[in-house]
Amino acid sequence: MALRLTVQVQLVVQALLRDPAREMYGLELSEETGLQPGTAYPILLRLEHEGWVTSRWEDVDPRAEKRPARRYYRLTAGGAVEASAALAGARRPAGSALRRLAEGGGVA
Amino acid sequence: MMPDIDPRTDAKKKRAGIGTGILVVAGTADAIVAGSGFGPSLSVREIVMAVVLAVTTAFIVVPSGYRFRGHGPAGVRGGGNGSGLGWRTREADEAAGGPAHRWRGLVVVSRVMPPTASRRWLAEAESVLSEIEAPRRGPAIRSYLRSAPRLAVMMWIREVLRRARLGPRRPG
Repeated sequence: MALRLTVQVQLVVQALLRDPAREMYGLELSEETGLQPGTAYPILLRLEHEGWVTSRWEDVDPRAEKRPARRYYRLTAGGAVEASAALAGARRPAGSALRRLAEGGGVA
Repeated sequence: MMPDIDPRTDAKKKRAGIGTGILVVAGTADAIVAGSGFGPSLSVREIVMAVVLAVTTAFIVVPSGYRFRGHGPAGVRGGGNGSGLGWRTREADEAAGGPAHRWRGLVVVSRVMPPTASRRWLAEAESVLSEIEAPRRGPAIRSYLRSAPRLAVMMWIREVLRRARLGPRRPG
């Protein structure tokens, strides 16, 4: 099943493409995109299923860190190429969504 | 100083409380249904009683800290007899060294997903929610709950396709 590039998917892909080598965890992505974490999660799963993104659990001791381990996401090499191409051909995110992000509001 | 609590005594007390609660509600509902004109129609009365019992049990059991076995915290599969039900409390989780789920609603909703997907979703939600600022936590929890049904459908479709690809299990 081909990935549908909705506005939300484009926002997540854009955030990951800003630095394709950088790993980002759910909350970080949610803050960068303005999407709620519960909205970003299924998108990340779909991207992972398509092979655009790879993920791993952070290797930390939750007791020492006093927080649960984070799940980090990163674009794969092929994913970065495909995502760039797909974004170039996609409709730009709606102006209202971008305005809301610029104003610091979230996208549900 | 915290008093020593025996998890088994605590579980027994919870069990007794839940049992009493269910009996009281069932008795009251029976009396109301009997006096409401449903009396002659036994099947309707039985259906109403079954619904009342199921809803009451869910409402009493879920917030009581009662947890289901089989879906452990943060990706750890718990022990148990495989029935999916067990008397493992939040306190027992913490005593065993595992993190207790603070978001019971998410735990309940995660039950509709395939086990592997459910564990990952729950662990990731717990990870994000534990770091998010308090004012943003409510909307974030609601976003997880809102996206759960579609996610569950997506994950079950994937699970069915995966099993279909693997083919039927052969004994031995």
